[in-house]
Amino acid sequence: MPSKDFESAAFTEVDWDVRDRGITVRKRTLGLLGAFLALGALYAYDAIVAPEELVAALNWDVTRADWLLLVASVFFARYGLFPLAADPARTRRLLGRLRSHPLGLFALLSLAVLTAVGLLGPGLFFDTGYPKLKYRLQPPVYASVFVEDIHYYNCVGQVTDGYCHGTWRYPLGTNRYGEGVLELLVYGVRVALQVSLPTVVLIGVVGTVVGALAGYYGGWVDDVLMRYVDIQQTVPAIVVYILLATFFLGEYSGVTDGGLFAFVGVFGLLNWGGVARVVRSDALQQRSAGYVRAARATGASDLRILRDRIVPNARGTIVTELSRRVPLLVLAQVALAYLSLSRIASQSLGRVIRVGLQPEVLPWHQKWWVTTFAVALLAFAVAAFNVSGDSLRDALDTRQGGSS
Amino acid sequence: MSDPLLSVRDLRTEFDTDAGVVRAVDGASFDVEAGETVCLVGESGSGKTVACESITRLIPTDSGSITGGEVRFDGTDLTELSGSALTEYRGNRIAHVFQNPQGALDDVYTVGEQVVETVRAHRDLDRSAAREEAIDLLDRVGIPDAADRIDDYPHSFSGGMKQRVVLAIALAGDPDLLIADEPTTALDVTIQAQILRLLGEIQDERGMGLLFVTHDLGVVAEIADRVVVMYAGKVMETGEVYELFENPAHPYTRALLDCLPGHGQAFDTIDGTTPDPTDPPDGCRFHPRCDHAVEDCRAGEQPAFAPVGDDHDAACVLYGDDHQPPLSFPEKHDD
Repeated sequence: MPSKDFESAAFTEVDWDVRDRGITVRKRTLGLLGAFLALGALYAYDAIVAPEELVAALNWDVTRADWLLLVASVFFARYGLFPLAADPARTRRLLGRLRSHPLGLFALLSLAVLTAVGLLGPGLFFDTGYPKLKYRLQPPVYASVFVEDIHYYNCVGQVTDGYCHGTWRYPLGTNRYGEGVLELLVYGVRVALQVSLPTVVLIGVVGTVVGALAGYYGGWVDDVLMRYVDIQQTVPAIVVYILLATFFLGEYSGVTDGGLFAFVGVFGLLNWGGVARVVRSDALQQRSAGYVRAARATGASDLRILRDRIVPNARGTIVTELSRRVPLLVLAQVALAYLSLSRIASQSLGRVIRVGLQPEVLPWHQKWWVTTFAVALLAFAVAAFNVSGDSLRDALDTRQGGSS
Repeated sequence: MSDPLLSVRDLRTEFDTDAGVVRAVDGASFDVEAGETVCLVGESGSGKTVACESITRLIPTDSGSITGGEVRFDGTDLTELSGSALTEYRGNRIAHVFQNPQGALDDVYTVGEQVVETVRAHRDLDRSAAREEAIDLLDRVGIPDAADRIDDYPHSFSGGMKQRVVLAIALAGDPDLLIADEPTTALDVTIQAQILRLLGEIQDERGMGLLFVTHDLGVVAEIADRVVVMYAGKVMETGEVYELFENPAHPYTRALLDCLPGHGQAFDTIDGTTPDPTDPPDGCRFHPRCDHAVEDCRAGEQPAFAPVGDDHDAACVLYGDDHQPPLSFPEKHDD
């Protein structure tokens, strides 16, 4: 890059001029800062004044993982939702293009519903009471299970010919601890959200910044950053997490999130390499593109080119790459929870499946409802992510031009 | 005579490539006065584009660098400036229009957003005033229904329309010098003529200097005040346009003009190819392809400029002091 020497006073003055114009803080940046300040204030309030149930209406005691989720939501709102709201015309066009992908639109809507359920569901719909052991293994409504030979079994509904029938009190039945499966699913979605959104935001931000810098500047910047990525890619996040969980989680008093915070940290900080790679190659292509040269010729600074040209043009790549990662993260957390790698259980779907597959009381196929619904939900969510990611990429890609 | 607006002296720009060091521009000198149109002509690979991009240092910085000479613009040597000080000149004082309009606009933003962005980068206007200004600019460069088209995306514009938008963006900073790098090469001839006329009008209005890169001598004849002929990184000949077309001095310029349809023999070409840029020949760069080469052409440096007419110089030994009187060339073919 050109040398940055400030020899004479005249040049310094010119420089100030440039900076004066360059640093005009945009309203949206102020909004982002404001949102973070508000979150910070809330956090201080939570930490000092009211340690329990910060959001009383939602019956929600905000944990560390929840704070991460809130921070990630702010980022998501700023870089995902705000651009849509700020330019209704463009949003309409985007929706218009999405209409030619009805499956993708359906998948996106499903994900939006799941997100709402995960955010609000646990507080709105359920009293987090203690599980009632005496109501264990209730079948779902309209289903029944043969219980004649189970000792100490209480059927909430009617018993005919030794078959217990499900009731609306537990629409999806209960597991062997008497926990309602529907409730478990809703909490499972919350956990999936707590895990995936902050991790993906972390991956997205770090990966995009590193990739764009490496690709745009090239040379030694590229070498240093990408060699670091190479090294980092040799460290598998899952192994690091298992080590951490083995040595620390469960011992540490006050860890109430089942290792979710650690999961976000480990997977977020170790998994951005792939995103950085694809953003880098995108930036590398764009570096010599006409619009980047033109922007440089009109006096745009590197920061401005990166922010207003390189990254927006890479958004299709970034969205695809991130949406591909979300299901992998959710599945990784489910797998870890299934393996019970932290002694303090989270309400992950992995735990739901593990409990459902244990042979106690009934073999798993007779208490099928405990596992089946969880597996179906997981499969649906993963499929929805993949489909919506593909459709979003197509809809966001302006480079294909004429299709709209 | 006052200082010219732009004075390039002995500019050298090199690129590090796998094949070796490419001296794309190897000691080029030329001037552009305010309000004047200077055409930089030469074959592909003669270094004219690199020379232009070196002025505001738009060359790819990871492999290319300016290794010598000076670029004096309005009294300041731009090669001495830091990168951030240079951005103050780019767009504001010196604007660029590139060859391919297809890629010069960002498909992510509407045409209006890109013009407004540039207007606001150079002038202290609020959003709506900048938008008005952008519509005026688009109108000026001949976009029909500019107020309606401003919210369209670039992909719905034709090549010629895009080049007009690019021109509007270039004019947004009200530059003193416009560098146009083959701005009409990618366009068909009718559009080309319109754009050239537009450039001429705007130049007259604003009194800006225009440095126009082209390999099309027809275009040169149409718009140039002065011509700079480049070959293999060196300037071969400079002169006022009529003088140069009437009395081309350098054998390379003559060969180039003979290639024009209607001049010389039908379909004349210059034999041979441009020299390997990593290993240019000694002496005059053109001597291996020159019909008039003598012993002095083959060794040493490129010959110094010798006056061949009023404000007309050629870098050819045949006009140097050692060869008085100049060797006679075959008469230029009449049309």
